[in-house]
Amino acid sequence: MSDSQREAPLLPVEDAREAALFFVVCALCFLAALAALTGRATYGAAQEWTSDVEGELTIRLSGADMRAADAARDLVADMPNVRDARVLDRDETATLLEPWFGSSGLPSSLPLPILIAVQADPSATDMGPNIQRRLTEEGFAAAVDEHSDWAGDVRRALGSVRLAALGAVALLAATAVAVIAFATHAALLARKDIVEVLHLSGAEDRFVSRLFERRFWVLALRAGSVGALAALGAASLLSYSLSQGGGRDWLLPTLRLDLVDLSILISTPIMAAFAARFAARITVLRSLAETV
Amino acid sequence: MSRYGADIFNDSSVSLDHVSLKYPTSSEVLNDVSLNLKQGSFTFLTGASGAGKTSLLRLLYLALRPTEGEVSLFGRSTSTLNRRELSALRRRIGVVFQEFRLLDHLTAYENAALPLRVRGRKEKSYREDVEELLAWVGLGERMHAKPRTLSGGEQQRVAIARALVGRPDLLIADEPTGNVDPDMGARLMRLFGELNRRLGATVIIATHDLTLIRELDQPVYRLQHGLLVRDAEFGSAA
Repeated sequence: MSDSQREAPLLPVEDAREAALFFVVCALCFLAALAALTGRATYGAAQEWTSDVEGELTIRLSGADMRAADAARDLVADMPNVRDARVLDRDETATLLEPWFGSSGLPSSLPLPILIAVQADPSATDMGPNIQRRLTEEGFAAAVDEHSDWAGDVRRALGSVRLAALGAVALLAATAVAVIAFATHAALLARKDIVEVLHLSGAEDRFVSRLFERRFWVLALRAGSVGALAALGAASLLSYSLSQGGGRDWLLPTLRLDLVDLSILISTPIMAAFAARFAARITVLRSLAETV
Repeated sequence: MSRYGADIFNDSSVSLDHVSLKYPTSSEVLNDVSLNLKQGSFTFLTGASGAGKTSLLRLLYLALRPTEGEVSLFGRSTSTLNRRELSALRRRIGVVFQEFRLLDHLTAYENAALPLRVRGRKEKSYREDVEELLAWVGLGERMHAKPRTLSGGEQQRVAIARALVGRPDLLIADEPTGNVDPDMGARLMRLFGELNRRLGATVIIATHDLTLIRELDQPVYRLQHGLLVRDAEFGSAA
């Protein structure tokens, strides 16, 4: 007989209850990892977009010809904190209008607004009002659109997305702890006979709790790994299907699978295992404290 | 018969001091029971079914706390001990439960070795002892069998091996010969007697078996209506 046969686990091998718990922990880890991955991907995509538009402004000139447009561009380009200013040609303007008029081209007779794209120092403040004032002073009828106004809205939305993702992960972790605590309590009741025999044989509370901790640690580690892998599959699928949207995927979440994403995937089962261990220990010790 | 039958010894191993026990949903099971047993004594506990023998034993092996009174083991009051100290005390007690209470998923060998495993002993250090003990109780060929495949008598012998394996200072057995044939019963009693004489273990056996009681002629305490009385008929030689 081998030693491993002799050292059989003091708690019986898993039963149907543990299969159900495996599924629940697996599902919770799947949701937690998916929330973290998609939350991060969404946040990353939006952050890239906001950093791109930071310092960008568009000036729309009314009732002006190309000579006036060049003069307005020179005026703006000479202002402090302005890095670049250029008048958009007709093709560039048409590209901007594509979402509304389609890609088949605009009729040449259609009058297009004259637009000046300005890139300012992102750290400079009040660039929009300053440019507006300067152009007005020089007699230009211009409307200045500061892109960072939109970025501010996006940033606020991003904060909410991040909070929601963190909240979801925290809620799922708390749920996992509660579910495992409940399952441990049920297992403890189901194994009351074994626990009592161990106790009466001189086992200390920590000895008994370690048996349950080990059991749920391994279960959560396995279930968490399966859940995290499933989340990776689901996130990849989601990312792939979004990337098939056709050219305008720059604002859509993209799964990067970089070090941070990998650490999310690796840490999910580990955190689940720690949560399981913690829940099992607290539940067993508390329950045992109520016995003789 | 003398009420309580209290034999007071300074080196008392087991001491019950005005102990009463009442379960939440029943009337009083034990009523003002006092008892002192010195280290190395051999005592029978008898009484009709439901008289409270098992309850009294449960108090002694620290599975219950009394409703009133004091239980002391090896000179220490158990009511003041913390959980760790209680565990340490339990390791000095071997118990043969009436219903055996073997772990179904473990083999006879693993069940018998349980108290040593709980103490953190390495398997190598106790393997021979456990195998020898199981062979002694007639289970040398069955030590790798699971309890469900063993007969009642075999299960009882595993339970006895488990109680003895840690060489306890106090051995408590609840009807230990109830499921074994007379030969094995006598053999087990000899083992208990040996443990009592050679190792100085205190032995308390709850039994209905008057033949056995007469044969060994050790002190007998009888539980009647929650009261513990010494049966003067037995134990004159002790």
